[in-house]
Amino acid sequence: MLAYAIRRMGYGILVVLGVLFFLFVLFFAVTSPDDVARKALGERVPDSVVEQWKINHGYDKPLFPGPGRWTDNMLVDHYRRMLTFDFGRSDADDTPIMDRITRGAGPSLTLTVPLFLLSLFTGIPLALLVAFFRETYIDRLGVVIAVLAMSVSILLYIIGAQYLIGKLLHWFPISGFDTDPRVIARFLALPILVGVLSGIGGDIRFYRTVFLEESNTDYVRTARAKGCGEARIMSVHVFRNSLIPLLTQVVVAIPFLFTGSLLLESFFGIPGLGAMTVDAIQGNDFSVLRTMVYIGSLLFVVGQVLTDLSYGLVDPRVRFE
Amino acid sequence: MRGAVACSVLLGALLACTNNPYPSEDDDRKVLYTTFSEAPRSLDPAVAYDVGAHAITGAVYDTLLEYHYLKRPYTLIPGLALDLPESRPGEADGSTVYRFELRPGVLYQEDPAFTIDGSGRRTRPVLAADVAFQLARLADPTVNSPVIEPFSHVAGFQAFGERLVERRKADPDFAARPVHEQYAELGGIPGVRVEGDHVLEVEVASDYPQILYWFAMQFTTPVPWEAIAYYDGEEGRPRFDDHPVGTGPFVLSHYDKQSRMVLDANPNWYGVQHPEWRAPGAVYPSEGEPEDVAAGRLDPSIAGSPLPFLERIVYLREQEAIPYFNKFLQGYYDAAGVIKESFDRVISQGRLSPAMAGMDISLEKGVEPTVFYLGFNLEDETIGLPAGDDGRRIRQAMSLVIDTEEYTRIFSNSRGVPAQSPLPPGIFGYDENYENPYRRVDLERAQQLMVEAGYPGGVDAETGKPLVLTFDTYDTYDTSSQGLLQFRFFTDAWRKLGIDVQVEATNYNQFQEKVRNGDYQIFMWGWVADYPDPENFLFLLWSEMARSKGGPNTANFSNPRYDELYLSMKSRANGPERLAEIREMLAILETERPWIELVHREDYSLYHGWLDHVKPFGMSFSTSKYLDLDPGVRTARRLEWNRPILWPIWAGLGLGVALIVPGIVTFMRERQ
Repeated sequence: MLAYAIRRMGYGILVVLGVLFFLFVLFFAVTSPDDVARKALGERVPDSVVEQWKINHGYDKPLFPGPGRWTDNMLVDHYRRMLTFDFGRSDADDTPIMDRITRGAGPSLTLTVPLFLLSLFTGIPLALLVAFFRETYIDRLGVVIAVLAMSVSILLYIIGAQYLIGKLLHWFPISGFDTDPRVIARFLALPILVGVLSGIGGDIRFYRTVFLEESNTDYVRTARAKGCGEARIMSVHVFRNSLIPLLTQVVVAIPFLFTGSLLLESFFGIPGLGAMTVDAIQGNDFSVLRTMVYIGSLLFVVGQVLTDLSYGLVDPRVRFE
Repeated sequence: MRGAVACSVLLGALLACTNNPYPSEDDDRKVLYTTFSEAPRSLDPAVAYDVGAHAITGAVYDTLLEYHYLKRPYTLIPGLALDLPESRPGEADGSTVYRFELRPGVLYQEDPAFTIDGSGRRTRPVLAADVAFQLARLADPTVNSPVIEPFSHVAGFQAFGERLVERRKADPDFAARPVHEQYAELGGIPGVRVEGDHVLEVEVASDYPQILYWFAMQFTTPVPWEAIAYYDGEEGRPRFDDHPVGTGPFVLSHYDKQSRMVLDANPNWYGVQHPEWRAPGAVYPSEGEPEDVAAGRLDPSIAGSPLPFLERIVYLREQEAIPYFNKFLQGYYDAAGVIKESFDRVISQGRLSPAMAGMDISLEKGVEPTVFYLGFNLEDETIGLPAGDDGRRIRQAMSLVIDTEEYTRIFSNSRGVPAQSPLPPGIFGYDENYENPYRRVDLERAQQLMVEAGYPGGVDAETGKPLVLTFDTYDTYDTSSQGLLQFRFFTDAWRKLGIDVQVEATNYNQFQEKVRNGDYQIFMWGWVADYPDPENFLFLLWSEMARSKGGPNTANFSNPRYDELYLSMKSRANGPERLAEIREMLAILETERPWIELVHREDYSLYHGWLDHVKPFGMSFSTSKYLDLDPGVRTARRLEWNRPILWPIWAGLGLGVALIVPGIVTFMRERQ
């Protein structure tokens, strides 16, 4: 298993190195350092200020290696910085990017962990319930509601919830965030509710399909023939044997809890890594964007490996070779 | 049993739910809640040049001079200086020396930086040398100040920066020393002389009296060398960029620039420490404009009151307009701008809608010291000065078909004053009765001018070819759907003259390249004044500032008489002679048409009734110390406007039970 994990991580590292190269080409081919500097400094500053800014940010060097500059160039700097997690400073506001990641991870996790757990612990029981009442109007109603819920854009959920729950009903603040323990729950309630509602339709549909497929297998029929209760069949036999497809969907998402939610954080004013990424996109902050894409690719690789390893934990028949 | 506990927890949570985003402890305090949209890039007063940063630096750093809060036109008053500086001719030919006398006994805010010298003290008095140190920082190229150019008028300013760079290159030991030691070893800027603890003389080499306005901006605030040495970003200490240390009425007590910034009243502020001084910048003014009396801003009970009124200012980041505005309507922000999504709901026929007025919200409009315009490249062979009278007639004709009122109605909800000249209201030389004959729509006359220019119907009478021009743009906004609509508005107007104007969108650096090569014809630009003097607008058309020479005169306008008048007007005090010169300059621009003046931007701001003494201020100057609020009224209004409505929860639960239970019962019955 260890050899398998190391081999998978090795493949992952190759993918990450490739991603880094594409990132470099994309970011520096699309926009010149002068454009980035002008965006950051404004158009009224003199050229000398722009030149000094480029020096401060390491954008004054040649792009690629060449005679006399095999190590002193932007490509090598890019790899060195990313691989050593020395992400440098934000193009937009000069803050050390690592500081921003450290500060943003907390708010992101404060939102995404409860959201993830709540989605899981509402989605699976509801899907089991719908599957339990299969071919009744509860099942059909559940599927219709799930399809409707899936069809609505998350933006509509956000704006609708802010208007209805925040503005009209006055249950929770429309947006904002504060780490003060006296008020933090108020700020998280609405985004978590929106996150759960917007995702639950898809979850129910997916889990229900998995459970129904499993409930038609021979061993379930045998269990029924032996007089086992339907509730026990669903919650013990069917659920446990459905874990592989469930884990495929669930475990791969766990590393991404760290990077937060782009839309929820942005619209609800939660200063996490998702909002930071949206900021970077809106503000042409390429150094932050490069870092976040790189971290995303690292987390994807980690998620894939974790998912593979989790199969062995839930199903002893899976062997790592 | 467990179900009952869960139900009571849920019920308790629902009954306790509130949309109040603030701790209730703040309800009785004078805490102003306001917003910012973009994180400040730097709070270093030598560098900060954006609105978000100035909100903080303006409150944390005091300046030698300030603006009078209520008087218009904008008037300078003493700040940290005892009085406005005296001036005398300098030793060098044509130079002027300004002598500032600082108030003795002004202290910096308490800060650990002052322990750097081992004395154990947490503050110290402000010295004239601190201002000289900050001016040296402006000249230091590694600080990267964006205002090097205006300060290059100070004698020896540029040379000091160059000597610093050379010495650092030549002597690594020198470069490794703290910057205050480096500056001291080089003798500082020759034109900045410290005469004792509290006297500073600044020698301005060329004729530039406007430099005094820069002493009302945070670029010239006193900065303690200890703060620069201490806040170096090492060993867990923040950088000076993120940790201001000043003398102002507020101190920055919490700084998370991505989400929340908090200013607290500074107990060391000279207005608090020495109320007996009754310094002009530390008490509420007793004079102002007639409209201030009507607005209650000159109530005798507040005139002369010590500042600041607020205990704390909380800046919260709001990136989305709709939640921000809704929170203002709920009373959770004390002031707000008018967002375009709600414009029609808030403003009705240029006034506050009855619904808003019913909430005791007030609207303040303020024209900003800005000018937005369409410009012609006057070095162009077809429409520029080389084309002589014909080129001028084309420019005049093109000016006569742009309907600014329609433009502002479509693109900014009629916010903005149609511009007749470069000078906006509030700036000396602005005449509200002046009507530029080329800034009204007159299609017939425009067509006649095209005929006179040799382009009847937009076709060259000699060659029979249509007149085709290019309109160069350079911003991402320009390529957005609204940006493109805006350009179409102009090109459609010019099409009425038969002129085919092609929009060419590029990025800023490509545009700069075009400008360097003179490869552009029409452009759109704007200017926001640094200080309230006509010179700061009229220099935009001075030939020495031509874009081809690296200056901001992108039109490359060159007119000897205009230049002569500009140089004369620039150094005069406001008065009839200066006014006559300005009028003659405007008359030249009226005929020559290097620009088609569009609009002076107008700011609409909304305030709740509990916020007092609000007056829009166009210049870069923090007005927070003048604001006051009534927390009791605010809390009462918030409670009244935000009572939770809970019946939908019970209705939803009932509906769910009604739908699900019959199904379960039927299912169980069938199973049996």
